[in-house]
Amino acid sequence: MRPPPGRQQLSREFITRHQRARIIAALAEEVMAQGYRAVTVADIVSRAGIARNTFYENFSSKEDCFLAAQEYAVDEALRRVVEAASDVESWPARVRSGLASFLRSVATEPALARTCFVDALSAGPAAVDRYEQSLQAFVPLFRIGRKVSPHGEELPSTLEETIVGGIFWIIYQRIVLGQTEQIEELLPELIEFALTPYVGAEAARRAATEG
Amino acid sequence: MAVDPSDSSVEAAHEYPPELSRLPPGRHGLPREFVVHNQRERLIAGLAEAVAENGFASTTIAHITRHAAVSRRTFYEHFSSKDECFVAAYDAVLEQLGERVGEAFRAEQEWPQAIRAGIAAMLSFLAHEPNLARLCMVEALVAGPVVVERYDAAIQSLVPYFREGRKGRPPEVLSRLSPTTEEALVGGMVSLVSRRIFAGRTAELEELLPDLVEFALTPYLGSAEAAKAARQG
Repeated sequence: MRPPPGRQQLSREFITRHQRARIIAALAEEVMAQGYRAVTVADIVSRAGIARNTFYENFSSKEDCFLAAQEYAVDEALRRVVEAASDVESWPARVRSGLASFLRSVATEPALARTCFVDALSAGPAAVDRYEQSLQAFVPLFRIGRKVSPHGEELPSTLEETIVGGIFWIIYQRIVLGQTEQIEELLPELIEFALTPYVGAEAARRAATEG
Repeated sequence: MAVDPSDSSVEAAHEYPPELSRLPPGRHGLPREFVVHNQRERLIAGLAEAVAENGFASTTIAHITRHAAVSRRTFYEHFSSKDECFVAAYDAVLEQLGERVGEAFRAEQEWPQAIRAGIAAMLSFLAHEPNLARLCMVEALVAGPVVVERYDAAIQSLVPYFREGRKGRPPEVLSRLSPTTEEALVGGMVSLVSRRIFAGRTAELEELLPDLVEFALTPYLGSAEAAKAARQG
């Protein structure tokens, strides 16, 4: 069936999006298999089952594709986190849902997670920049906690960066150790770690064990 | 180059292990302050300078030998590759940093003060040695799997200092500390410090002391006590 004329444009957009996602997935798998430096465009093309031309219609280089993979993964994870957190009322419960969603993203997309958490650090300055931005993107979600904290105004200004850095480090470690499948088990510990400075250890523990 | 024993810079160099006594303090290609005979040490110092100038990925063996003022052949008498030279430099820096932190920590009686002293020692070392700070916190990640393993191990080596904080805590505090508390604390602190170095703000690192102390002590002492310990100079 031919698509109606008005939808032609949309349809091409969809195909392009789909192609990009497929190439990104192929890149992530190749990076996981052999490390960023060793991967070639030919490897990505062959894994994605597309023509070399198609790759270059979407990306200018391997690096460009890598940066797109980072952007895609972070946008997607952040979108899911915000969506998961919007379902619940209290801030501690939102942190809980958001973190749960984040860990699930890592567990279900191990190759993409490895690309973002491990390989990004050694894939050149632009990739490291993007890694920094992704860390920073989560900072405002925690900063909200200052409003519910009895001593919110006195908390150190770097607190959120340090919390996100700590969570990223724990995830990095588990990925390097090949333990992404069990990563969701860390949820209660990470909730407590993130909430304790804001609401105290007792309330953090309650938020971590409920639900 | 002759060694003048009355030269104070040579004396200052005795405080450092030989590998580090040659490492340059600034990143502006200052004239060599320390006279060194050992070629290996010169190469390690040359690598630190070259990496500070070019980044690890773009550093070539020619850069290293030029900074070290030795021949290419001499380089290969000591190291088989740029990677191997980097690992040697990395180990030298980490050993020095580890010693400083350990000494500062052990000099204090009380654990909260010991943590504060250890963090202060780390920040001070990194702030005063921007080339080395960059080498061990930023470039290490670029340098490939061998160094990344060492980097991970170095961060993990800080965990026991924090775990000490569990000793003598009441059961309700112990019960709420999770197995990964220390790892997350250390990871968060290192991440913050690395980000500042990456952003070229190494000189401001010591300003992070109160924030990091409060962050590190909160799980053990609670927010109020931790904030108090952080503000005490």
